[in-house]
Amino acid sequence: MAKYIIKRVLQFIPVFLGVTLILFVLQNVVPGDPIKLIAGERQLDHQTEVTLRARHGFIETDAEGNPVYEVDESGEVVLDEEGYPQTIETPLWKRYVTYLTNLLQGDLGTSYQRGTEVTSIIFQKYPYTIQLALVAIVIEAIVGIGAGIVSAIKRYSFWDILVTLVTSLMVAMPAFWFGMLLQLFFGIFLKDVTGGALSLPISGVAGPVSTYPAWMYYIMPAITLAAVSTAYSARIMRSQLLDVMNQDYIRTARAKGLSRGAIIRKHALKNALIPVVTYIGMDFGAMLAGAILTETVFSWPGIGRETYLAISQRDWPIVMGSVTVIVVVVMVINLIVDVSYAFLDPRIRLGSSKNEG
Amino acid sequence: MFDKFGGVTRRNFVKGGLAAGALTALAACGGNGGETTEGGEGAAPAVTENYFSYYLSEPAYIDPYNGQENQGMAVIFACFDGLLVWDYDTNEPVPLAAAELPTVSDDGLTYTFKLREGMTFHNGDPVDAASFKRGWERVASPTMATPSDIAYHLDPIAGKAEFAAGEATEISGLVAVDDLTFQVTLTAPMADFPAVCCHPALAPVPQAALDDPASFLEQPIGNGPFKLDEPWQHNQYILASKFENYYGEAPAIDGVYFSIQANPDTAFRGFQAGEIDFCNIPVGQIQDCVDQYGASEDGFTVTPGAQALTGTELSTYYLIPNLENEWLSKPEVRRALSLAINRDNIVNSLFEGFREGANSIMPLSIDDNEQNVWQYCKYDPEQATQILADAGINPADITVTLNYNSGGDHEDIMSSIQADFAAIGVNVQQQTQEWAAYLESLSDGSYDLGRLGWTADYPIQDNFLYPNFYSTASNNYNHYNNPDFDVKLLEARQIQDEEARRTAYREACAMVGDDMPVIPIMFYAHNYIGSERCAHFFYDAATIPHFESAELA
Amino acid sequence: MKYPVTAGAARSGEDAAAVSKATSDIGASRTLWGDAWMRLKKNKLAIAAAIWIVFIILVAVTADLWVPAVLGDPNATAADMAAASRLPPSLEHPFGTDNLGRDVLSRVIYGARISLIVGVVATGISTAIGLVMGALAAYYGGVWDTLIMRLADIFLAFPYTLFVIAMIAVIGNGIQNVFIAIGILGWPQIARVFRSAILSVKENDYVDAARSMGASDVRIIARHIFPNSVASIVVYATMNIGGAILTESALSFLGMGVVPPDPSWGTLIQTGQQYLQTEPWLMILPGLAVLTTVLAFTLLGDGLRDALDVKMKDA
Repeated sequence: MAKYIIKRVLQFIPVFLGVTLILFVLQNVVPGDPIKLIAGERQLDHQTEVTLRARHGFIETDAEGNPVYEVDESGEVVLDEEGYPQTIETPLWKRYVTYLTNLLQGDLGTSYQRGTEVTSIIFQKYPYTIQLALVAIVIEAIVGIGAGIVSAIKRYSFWDILVTLVTSLMVAMPAFWFGMLLQLFFGIFLKDVTGGALSLPISGVAGPVSTYPAWMYYIMPAITLAAVSTAYSARIMRSQLLDVMNQDYIRTARAKGLSRGAIIRKHALKNALIPVVTYIGMDFGAMLAGAILTETVFSWPGIGRETYLAISQRDWPIVMGSVTVIVVVVMVINLIVDVSYAFLDPRIRLGSSKNEG
Repeated sequence: MFDKFGGVTRRNFVKGGLAAGALTALAACGGNGGETTEGGEGAAPAVTENYFSYYLSEPAYIDPYNGQENQGMAVIFACFDGLLVWDYDTNEPVPLAAAELPTVSDDGLTYTFKLREGMTFHNGDPVDAASFKRGWERVASPTMATPSDIAYHLDPIAGKAEFAAGEATEISGLVAVDDLTFQVTLTAPMADFPAVCCHPALAPVPQAALDDPASFLEQPIGNGPFKLDEPWQHNQYILASKFENYYGEAPAIDGVYFSIQANPDTAFRGFQAGEIDFCNIPVGQIQDCVDQYGASEDGFTVTPGAQALTGTELSTYYLIPNLENEWLSKPEVRRALSLAINRDNIVNSLFEGFREGANSIMPLSIDDNEQNVWQYCKYDPEQATQILADAGINPADITVTLNYNSGGDHEDIMSSIQADFAAIGVNVQQQTQEWAAYLESLSDGSYDLGRLGWTADYPIQDNFLYPNFYSTASNNYNHYNNPDFDVKLLEARQIQDEEARRTAYREACAMVGDDMPVIPIMFYAHNYIGSERCAHFFYDAATIPHFESAELA
Repeated sequence: MKYPVTAGAARSGEDAAAVSKATSDIGASRTLWGDAWMRLKKNKLAIAAAIWIVFIILVAVTADLWVPAVLGDPNATAADMAAASRLPPSLEHPFGTDNLGRDVLSRVIYGARISLIVGVVATGISTAIGLVMGALAAYYGGVWDTLIMRLADIFLAFPYTLFVIAMIAVIGNGIQNVFIAIGILGWPQIARVFRSAILSVKENDYVDAARSMGASDVRIIARHIFPNSVASIVVYATMNIGGAILTESALSFLGMGVVPPDPSWGTLIQTGQQYLQTEPWLMILPGLAVLTTVLAFTLLGDGLRDALDVKMKDA
């Protein structure tokens, strides 16, 4: 087991390098100069632009951080087309090496737009993503597994058909569309009808001025975030349970005269749960990657929206930093899930399967 | 108006912002993930119902040195008092932190401001002439971690250029003569300079701004009626409370809760649910809001029962033709295209008649005179066809692309314009880009017919003409260059007599209007709604909220 | 064993790692499809879904012939827009008109073209890349396998939506770019499915037999391995089309979709959302178009899975 974990952790390294390298290449080919964008529609004057480029490592600097200019053979400073001294662009690979070196020291860089440290931005935003994911995953586990069990046990009943119908609809629905319908119903319609007794807050998290108790802010975004995966876990649960109940050992137990309820509780459920729990675990990892659409619809101050905004502002340090953190978190969660899968199901032997990948 | 729908209010005031139990533990690992961080001078006052809940999209900067867009400016104006402020009733600057209007030297170069006595910053430091010099120099300083984008406001001041280039340690034109006397010297006379001094970013700052710029960026310390109790919670909120030692009249509200939301439509749903006191009305619901909540009498002030604001803003939406384009370089084509656009159709359907089709680059509220109206800035497809025919241009030959950034109703406006062009036989394509990429196309010149908006920094004619059309100005994206216009504009700037100056600007404006280097489409108008509990809340034409006069029932 | 990391890509563990348990007897492949058709016919939901899909395709393909005449040009704005815009559904405009006075049904029909093209082409691209990558990895193994699977890991490690957004930021928006971005980023799942499928048949005697008879690699893959994995690929791709349509609508919601004035269902929803409270049909009707179509692809995929006896489970 230890060997397997070490092997997986070592596999992280190329994946991690690959992800960051792809992002780095994207930065260079994407239209939109991040430094010019700092000034928005206004145009930066030349000196300011050079200062900013030097500060953010786009051009070569001396030890004091002052820009170094290009010099020809005779020692004269070369001038660019507009008559300014020609600066020297730092090559991509050099910036990538700097990024990695800084990363090893826990330094994720500084936002171009805000001038604040990326680590502090992540520390501020990531907790909200984690909290929302936790609430969503609880909903997913309880509702998904519950609905799956009911629909498997009462196969072809009204409840089974209802679960099948609702789960089919859920997976075919654009999540942001669903979120907006929730807002309309719980936030505005119910408020109108009940005079606020049953309504939910529309968006955001509780701040110093809050209309509702803090926990209520989690309900609608968490339901929206959990909706699709809840539907999937219900379907997996159902099919797994039906599958297991057809297995020989269950039939044997049944023949021995054990009651159906006892069989489900003692044997079937335990085995059927493993894949569902695995799915939910993986899904938790996915939720920790941030949910751009849910966070946008509900103004949730999480890491997904932060990163999305950073992409549109070409604020690459924030993008690099949050994707770095997200990728590591997701990989660790997936490793934990895989390892616990092996514990839960002794039939699985890690590292030996040809299909492992 | 938290119980707008007539029921039980459940507004409770949670200090902090996180759920109980397990979630709190998680938040703790997030450093300042919502806990209140006190400014260091005693506990912040408890948040009460008397806080104004104001929708904001995430500002760029709330530190005045780089106040560049109206979201950040809302916070800056609440927390900082500059020398002067624009009075929209009389349409002229009036003193704010200055005790009176400045005196001007005979050569029109030196302005002397007397400050009010006894003003302090939120941290107790005195507000003196040196603090204004400090604040203004920060705007132009090349040594800021991110140099300001708005240093151009100080361009008229002597010594600014040397200071910004790092050749001088101070701006020689800014002198603190004594504690309460602040003297500003210009390089050339500019009779409208007092209007520049109304810009909220030209504020005083305490020494702390230089000692700890990083904190100042997140929690600036000002001299205005409201102070920030805790640092800016990015993408969440900004909390400002009444400043007890404010020199002026104390505001009627206890503070402002700037609620930062991702999406204006979400904010509006929050307003309907009673969570937000002031926000945008989504396009398409302006008339409904006017019917339901009543129209504000002057279009700018919220009072109960007259809560929907529809006043004209000092902003223009326009198309910007690439003057190097084969077709758009011809003035006839630009004139014909402008005449082909049915502006009323756009504003009447998309904006329910609450915006105005543009007839010039500047709204007439700046200077109400017929001379400012551009002759080709109207809907006349016959004349458009005639102009093209006279110039021997076959409309079908014209191949142009409409380039713009996606979002913000632009798609609908452009689709309508495209149809209008098709009606005179000109077939254009559309090309959308993300804002960042679009901006790069604009600077590169890789666009045909682009789109931009201009919002006045100060409500004067010069601010619509100089930045957009002066040959070397920063917002002149298509490099319009008319030497006669440049000369005329610089002359106008120096005229001290108000009426003569206005006339000179009108002539300059007409020169541009003949060339049509831009094609104005419409003037923006407010589409904002205030809650039933707000009174005397003034949201001015430059989209700055005036919390100092607001009352909450 | 791996589930997709994001909800957008392949929507679930159930679908993600499909492994063909189809019989390894190649002679059976004709009866496999015959049997499958017999089974599919009995699945009423799947048949209804198939009919709906065929209907939408027919309407979309023939749109030019009758829609502009009957309902109006989808992109023509009304002369007096204020009077003609946002009309409620009526006989003349069954889905009402939008904010520029354009007929919404006409736009929904033309939107079907774009949404279907995005769904099908994006899935086609990711399937094509996935098949090649999966085949290379599984058939040649060793370094190829490691390289390709690590590359797949890298793609899967990215938060999916962010990756698509970043891709669109690089290549710009517009319909080709939308399906290129969705297509390119979707290949790892297909590659894994195909790789597992190949691995499960590769060691079979008939493959060895073919090899010993001097068949080339390409021939072996094309003649012996591909037919045995095709069932799982068909099922997977069917379901993937729905996922791609959903991704397109999400991109449009964020303002990164097709270029106006052409309508896609995503842009129609995006336009409609600002009128949600006053003219709800502007958002709800295109939303229902997405919902029913994605649902149809899912149900058809489910039906095909059962009919083809493709065991959808974690490998």
